[in-house]
Amino acid sequence: MNSLARQAHPFTAGTVTLALVALALVFPTAAETVVLYGVTIVIALLAGAGAGVRRGLVAVLPIWILLFILKCVLGDGPRMAAPWGGTLSQPGVEWALSQGSRLAVIATASLAFASIFDPHRFLQAAIARRWPFGAAFLLVATLDAADRLGEQAHQLREAQRTRGVRVTGSMATRVRAFPALMFPLLLASLTEADDRALALETRGLMIQGPRTAVDPPTDRVIDRVVRWLALTCVICVVIWRVRS
Amino acid sequence: MNHTLRISPRLFALVPAAVAINLVVGTIVKELSLPVFLDTVGTVLVAVLAGWRAGALVGTVSQLLLGLLTGYQYLPFVVIQWLLSLLASFAANRRGFTKLWRTVLWGIAAGACCGAVSSVISYYFFGGITGGGVSWVVTGLRSLGASQPMAVFVGSSSTDILDKGIVIVVVGFVLRSLPRRILGRFPMAARAVGK
Repeated sequence: MNSLARQAHPFTAGTVTLALVALALVFPTAAETVVLYGVTIVIALLAGAGAGVRRGLVAVLPIWILLFILKCVLGDGPRMAAPWGGTLSQPGVEWALSQGSRLAVIATASLAFASIFDPHRFLQAAIARRWPFGAAFLLVATLDAADRLGEQAHQLREAQRTRGVRVTGSMATRVRAFPALMFPLLLASLTEADDRALALETRGLMIQGPRTAVDPPTDRVIDRVVRWLALTCVICVVIWRVRS
Repeated sequence: MNHTLRISPRLFALVPAAVAINLVVGTIVKELSLPVFLDTVGTVLVAVLAGWRAGALVGTVSQLLLGLLTGYQYLPFVVIQWLLSLLASFAANRRGFTKLWRTVLWGIAAGACCGAVSSVISYYFFGGITGGGVSWVVTGLRSLGASQPMAVFVGSSSTDILDKGIVIVVVGFVLRSLPRRILGRFPMAARAVGK
């Protein structure tokens, strides 16, 4: 799928995400953060990152439930009537709305960004911009390592199950399965890292100087305009917050 | 204590592996439905192998990558990764991984420190509601009549003592079973296990 966000320069999506997170932290009241959550959802859907909205909802749903119980039902302060009977803490409801929507903005923005994040394009953009190669390499190498190790963990679990290790059942059974699944994985990854270090050294990872991006993403005028707009928006809100 | 962080090829290879360990061990624990996180094993391992700065780097990258999977609302907890890295490195310098009982004591101490800081972050950034298992402990304590700060402190401290304690004990086992070929390349780790 060639969505709007995937066509954009990798730094544009990152800047918009950071701007939304910053705004969520700066806005003080529930009304503002709830509106910002709506704006975040609209931006994510327009950019073709609907998966991020769904995953964001799944991430914050348990927090909303706990906020409701702890702050609205068990909270202190003056009480207000609940629509279904009984009472709720008034300051608790305001705090829960504000905190719940703030966390929802942060989760939705970051998960929407994750759903369209392309490590290869990011690395190319970072090299083209002369960012420190080490930082960009660490990010991409880590994503690669996480995928590889996840696959190893899966294979290891299947292998241990064929040897009779039970991964379901009582707590004691599951605790006993843990070392059998984890220790081989840890030792294998450390040994592999040792071999990989030699490979990185022989391929000139430590050589200083500028590198050439093979396929740098295009930084269009619209990308630059969006990034500057996002930055201006955050600066304006911070100034408004400081002055009010 | 090792105060300098030289990004060597070995560290470039070790950091992604350690971050992957953090993410994958966290996933294994979740699949086994164990009541802990154990998502700092890689951080502690690198802190003991290559110093606290390297461990803090692993913790930071882990937290940033975890944000891509679960959202960046938990980013303030990166401080716990830094603190744990510092404590693990300190324990390694004090030969805290030579015997099981020493490792257990260091694990409890590190867990208590992390729990105290975690409860402050949890209370001030999230009002004590982070959405994980700790929040259900806090809810239970609140319904029994405990004040919010007390419930958050007890909930965070008890879970962190268990979680970080197990992490340090696990790393101790791994260090003691590492082949000499690898251990020999990390003098700090060799000292930590008394070899």
